[in-house]
Amino acid sequence: MQKTSEDDTKHPTFRGVRMRSWGKWVSEIREPRKKSRIWLETYPTAEMAARAHDVGALAIKGCSAYLNFPELAKELPLPASMSPKEIQAATSRAAASTRIINSSFNTEMLSCQWTGGIEAIVARLELPSRLSWFLGRVSRFLALYSMAKDPVRVLVTGAAGQIGYALVPMIARGVMLGPDQPVILHMLDIEPAAEALTGVRMELVDAAFPLLRDVVVTTDVTVACKGVNIAVMVGGFPRKEGMERKDVMSKNVSIYKAQASALEKQAAPDCKVLVVANPANTNALILKEFAPSIPEKNITCLTRLDHNRALGQLSERLKIHVSEVKNVIIWGNHSSTQYPDVNHATVTPANGEEKPVRSVVADDNWLNTEFITMVQQRGAAIIKARKLSSALSAASAACDHIRDWVVGTPKGTWVSMGVYSDGSYGIQPGVIYSYPVTCDKGQWSIVQGLKIDDFSRQKMDATAKELVEEKTLAYSCLN
Amino acid sequence: MAKDPVRVLVTGAAGQIGYALVPMIARGVMLGPDQPVILHMLDIEPAAEALTGVRMELVDAAFPLLRDVVATTDVTVACKGVNIAVMVGGFPRKEGMERKDVMSKNVSIYKAQASALEKQAAPDCKVLVVANPANTNALILKEFAPSIPEKNITCLTRLDHNRALGQLSERLKIHVSEVKNVIIWGNHSSTQYPDVNHATVTPANGEEKPVRSVVADDNWLNTEFITRVQQRGAAIIKARKLSSALSAASAACDHIRDWVVGTPKGTWVSMGVYSDGSYGIQPGVIYSYPVTCDKGQWSIVQGLKIDDFSRQKMDATAKELVEEKTLAYSCLN
Repeated sequence: MQKTSEDDTKHPTFRGVRMRSWGKWVSEIREPRKKSRIWLETYPTAEMAARAHDVGALAIKGCSAYLNFPELAKELPLPASMSPKEIQAATSRAAASTRIINSSFNTEMLSCQWTGGIEAIVARLELPSRLSWFLGRVSRFLALYSMAKDPVRVLVTGAAGQIGYALVPMIARGVMLGPDQPVILHMLDIEPAAEALTGVRMELVDAAFPLLRDVVVTTDVTVACKGVNIAVMVGGFPRKEGMERKDVMSKNVSIYKAQASALEKQAAPDCKVLVVANPANTNALILKEFAPSIPEKNITCLTRLDHNRALGQLSERLKIHVSEVKNVIIWGNHSSTQYPDVNHATVTPANGEEKPVRSVVADDNWLNTEFITMVQQRGAAIIKARKLSSALSAASAACDHIRDWVVGTPKGTWVSMGVYSDGSYGIQPGVIYSYPVTCDKGQWSIVQGLKIDDFSRQKMDATAKELVEEKTLAYSCLN
Repeated sequence: MAKDPVRVLVTGAAGQIGYALVPMIARGVMLGPDQPVILHMLDIEPAAEALTGVRMELVDAAFPLLRDVVATTDVTVACKGVNIAVMVGGFPRKEGMERKDVMSKNVSIYKAQASALEKQAAPDCKVLVVANPANTNALILKEFAPSIPEKNITCLTRLDHNRALGQLSERLKIHVSEVKNVIIWGNHSSTQYPDVNHATVTPANGEEKPVRSVVADDNWLNTEFITRVQQRGAAIIKARKLSSALSAASAACDHIRDWVVGTPKGTWVSMGVYSDGSYGIQPGVIYSYPVTCDKGQWSIVQGLKIDDFSRQKMDATAKELVEEKTLAYSCLN
């Protein structure tokens, strides 16, 4: 039975809706004639939870129920009495009025969530069995009813490569945007990869993904960018043996300038952009500079991989589960000058108190040296072991980055994102710099007011300096 | 999240399919978003460093559902306490190899792994064999792990099933979730029989209709459609220069999920299971059938009408399986 913890937040406007500390919304109503609350179910959005509350409230309190959506009440068929037959008829009528009830996957996906979910919670409360059965049926109906979302168009560039191949099934399964959000994938790659790209499309068809509404596969960047709501730029020119830094920069700057243009003209308004291909921060900066009509807050680069790696290293060191540690920060450039900062990170064991990582690790020397180097050089360590660079973890981090941006970060938790610097923490504006951010309603905000010690200051400045040098180099390539 | 973690073994975990599969398992695609998992990853000694690399990436991904990772080249350690075993590891066919050579190598592998699994796995461990020849590898596994209930040993034909659904959805220009109940009969090989005689299309807010009437092209359904599904694997290799990993891994997740969680009402799926003689197929082979699943058990859908065309195809693939079985046993002696 999940206890209310201090990490839960009541929703500011919806009655009977709380956000769990890991970002899901749970709906609850007061048990009849008691002070205790009945937890109905967990949902990905507050709105769904609010509707679930409404149906429960109507069931229990009838006309005097307070509703979050009184205007929708007439759409919710109610049983004439609490007899099982009436209840069944009501939920059947409700079910018949939705568009998606026939979708077999939705039912089976939801049935995954039910195990250990509502039946367990409601059963433990020893509600009258008809009430608990009704609430279960109704919340299931509501979740199905709420699945009528329009698809979101997600572009992946470099889609025929390793990261793309790991990323597209994650997107198609709802890892990036949630299990109730249909998607349309746009996949772009260069002409030499056209056949491989077709092969990926074939496999996506072969996987019969219920959430995947369509796949657009193309080598034409204009077609690829058309109408996209989210763009994950994985494509870029990789560094080859013998290439100078300037050569890599030069090739990538041209690519990102061209793609900026197409994205600006073709993408949907408010398109969110994540640049993954290295040099990520500078590629993102070039993209921003050459797509001036895309709001600068919509152009980000991936440092979530480093952030997740830092969490992973701490969890291994402390022999705890990674979900118990949070709020590391990756400052700066997604390169070997990044600064993984644990000064504000905490450990919260299950049923335990939140404690600073520094005191739990109790080894400042390790945290200031080896830990930092491990995170900075993890990419190289993966290449050494696999003979290929990180694809699985990079793809997963890209999903985390977008999901938290779109859905919001859990209360009390921040993440790291490379964003356009506004001068926060003394970093010069005009570079894409990784900061600690929280996300809400589709917007990120830099976490302000964190104390920065001298050690951190020096490291934060060093990575900023590298970014300014990269910017200069990038611009010189363009001239 | 108060569920006990489930231990899932993936053999051949350092390979392509393994690399696609393990993040799916770790994200809850296989067992649900509230089911913590412990991954056991096995591969052979030459792949040990690559396997370590995969383990490192799993740590780097900070998956909330992933409670632990056991990465090993020791099959005894790998099998210990596992609740689900996905056998992706096997000897791939190389240029110049005869069918007998491939069979011989794989039969030895599956005999050895059967032994370890039987001794080490948790009671009621569910086994899915993916590596080809999938049906016969599964049969060998079954034969040499007699204390594992025969109903717990299956092979993957869900990929073919999903491919068939995909081909129909492309033909009809509808979403794949609107078509269901194809059947893949027999061997996961080029003799498999993708059968649409009982498949239906259900558009949103529409009536359920037989695929044959909606497609209205029996010739296509009896020839090109069948060949496309049978040869899709080769088509993927031609396009990608690598065999299917993404779709195979996804199908493995679907197979296990439906087995464990249950199939939706009115829907069946295809699984390679130990034949009990249903539909006139001789017992003693692992044959792909239409099944429904409930409470962790599969049951063959009975009573479906089989026309002559289907009968002949179903028998042909059964014949191939009997030949493979004979070949496999000859390799062991």
